[in-house]
Amino acid sequence: MTDHTMNHAGERSGSFQTDVKTGTAVPFWAVFKREFGLYFRSPIAYAIAFAMLFFISLLFNAYIGQGNGQFPADSTYAPGLLTFLTFLIAPLLTMRLLSEETREGTLEVMMTLPMGDFQFVLGKFLAAWAYYTVLLALTLVYHLILLSIGTPDLGAAFGAYLGAWLYGGAVLAVTMIWSAVTEDQIVAAFLGAATVLVLYLADAASSWLSASSPGLAEFVRELGLTAHYDATLARGIIRPEDILYFVFLIIGALFITTRIVETRRWRA
Amino acid sequence: MIEVENLTKRYGEVYAVKGISFIARPGQVTGFLGPNGAGKTTTMRMLTGFTPPTSGEACVAGFDVFKKSMEVRRRVGYLPENVPLYRDMSARGYLMYIGEIRGLKDRRDLAEEALERVGLSHRADSRIRTLSKGMRQRVGLASALLHNPEVLILDEPTIGLDPIQVLELRDLVRELGRSHTVLFSTHILSEAEQVCDNVVIINQGLIVAQGSPGELRGQLERGGRVLVRLDVTPEQALPTILDVPGVATAQIAMDGIVATPTDPQTDPRPEIARVVVSRGWNLMELRPLAVNLEEIFLELTRHEDREPTPAEEAVEEVEA
Repeated sequence: MTDHTMNHAGERSGSFQTDVKTGTAVPFWAVFKREFGLYFRSPIAYAIAFAMLFFISLLFNAYIGQGNGQFPADSTYAPGLLTFLTFLIAPLLTMRLLSEETREGTLEVMMTLPMGDFQFVLGKFLAAWAYYTVLLALTLVYHLILLSIGTPDLGAAFGAYLGAWLYGGAVLAVTMIWSAVTEDQIVAAFLGAATVLVLYLADAASSWLSASSPGLAEFVRELGLTAHYDATLARGIIRPEDILYFVFLIIGALFITTRIVETRRWRA
Repeated sequence: MIEVENLTKRYGEVYAVKGISFIARPGQVTGFLGPNGAGKTTTMRMLTGFTPPTSGEACVAGFDVFKKSMEVRRRVGYLPENVPLYRDMSARGYLMYIGEIRGLKDRRDLAEEALERVGLSHRADSRIRTLSKGMRQRVGLASALLHNPEVLILDEPTIGLDPIQVLELRDLVRELGRSHTVLFSTHILSEAEQVCDNVVIINQGLIVAQGSPGELRGQLERGGRVLVRLDVTPEQALPTILDVPGVATAQIAMDGIVATPTDPQTDPRPEIARVVVSRGWNLMELRPLAVNLEEIFLELTRHEDREPTPAEEAVEEVEA
């Protein structure tokens, strides 16, 4: 222990030997790299990847057996399944992002570094989205299989993958809000899943409403996730309003998350 | 340099910090002394840009903490209470991460240097979760030192350390104080006396005294007050103590009697002892008042008849 004691008076001059040079700080990138790396060291992330790939592979197997010679190869099947599964995947990927920082007190360290609160939130979000992107990219294997045995519609495949990517980003951003709200990961995950289901089921609610008030029904439908994916992007129809819907959902959710993180300052 | 002017933090109806003013100068260690819940942590959180003040002003390293928060944060090294760290990272990894967020170019060398400084080079690659409490404290300190900041704000850095580590840390803080502005909080008076050039005593969100340790001790022992504890009740003994030659006033406090001599230069203790013994009572305790923190607080916060310190007068003026 004595070999490694702190250097005290006399052993060292008061100032540092290395000159402290600062470059352009890109704090969100640092946060992103750490969080993204953590997904590859987290058992939960591996479990999610395994469960998702296993589930999709089983369904795909059944689908391809059933469809053989009956209908054309469809590369939108796997990304479509993944978007449905985001209500389970996204909350599990985002639940600890901010709740753990609050609980462990490291939020105080982060919030006293020269980094804007939004950069911090953005880095965390991008890490989750990047991990999701990896999962989505893994499902490209089904596209390759279909390419080898049939002639899937490439336009539809492109739309479906682009849509699934944006869809995932939006769902991750929304579920991350709950991670900022509560210190409890489990609570964050449940509330996140519930929120995604509400957005997912807006379509069903709208068809239920359509008889009584068609105007309201259309409004509710447009708010939901399904209207902007299943009927359009998943079929290769790329409409700006669908892309904007997901982009605004991401930006809006990140804004809300940042604001909630900021309130920790006032409550502290 | 830290300049604090009438800084206030209010949560609803409760004041955590109530109009405090003080200055921490460069090349000095300023001790922030007070019991738990006095407002030390809240003040430090305002100075480091974590939480905004309700009112008042504070300048750290020449920048307003509220208006120029980023500039302040660039120039401050902060060790929060309880030393929050990412336990999944190695000590070196953690410092590199902080360095990257700060945008430090030579963060590898700086991390090395900071680790060496706190004596942790040999554990640089250990996961923080495997380090002892004292070592984690040092990782936290290293992260505060990483960018060689002008101002260091350390919130109770010696809590949870073993006695040897405490001594080492105090040495380190003293050494850092020569080239930096150091604000350091503690609830241990002897620590403040050993480490600090200047002490600010805070209680219930108010500054109750400030000055060098020597000045404070003088101020608090001012008047040569002594505490007398006997084997009879204070009520019973009070008239007798009041009659002792050389005792101006006496009152019941702190389970005994606090006696003030007529002449501050003359120690009333021999006379008190003689009288007490002559009455056939047993002397349990007889000593000058205010030699430890508890007594200073009792002194500073209980006696309504004491002279207010300049800081408090200022507060009263503001409130009036």
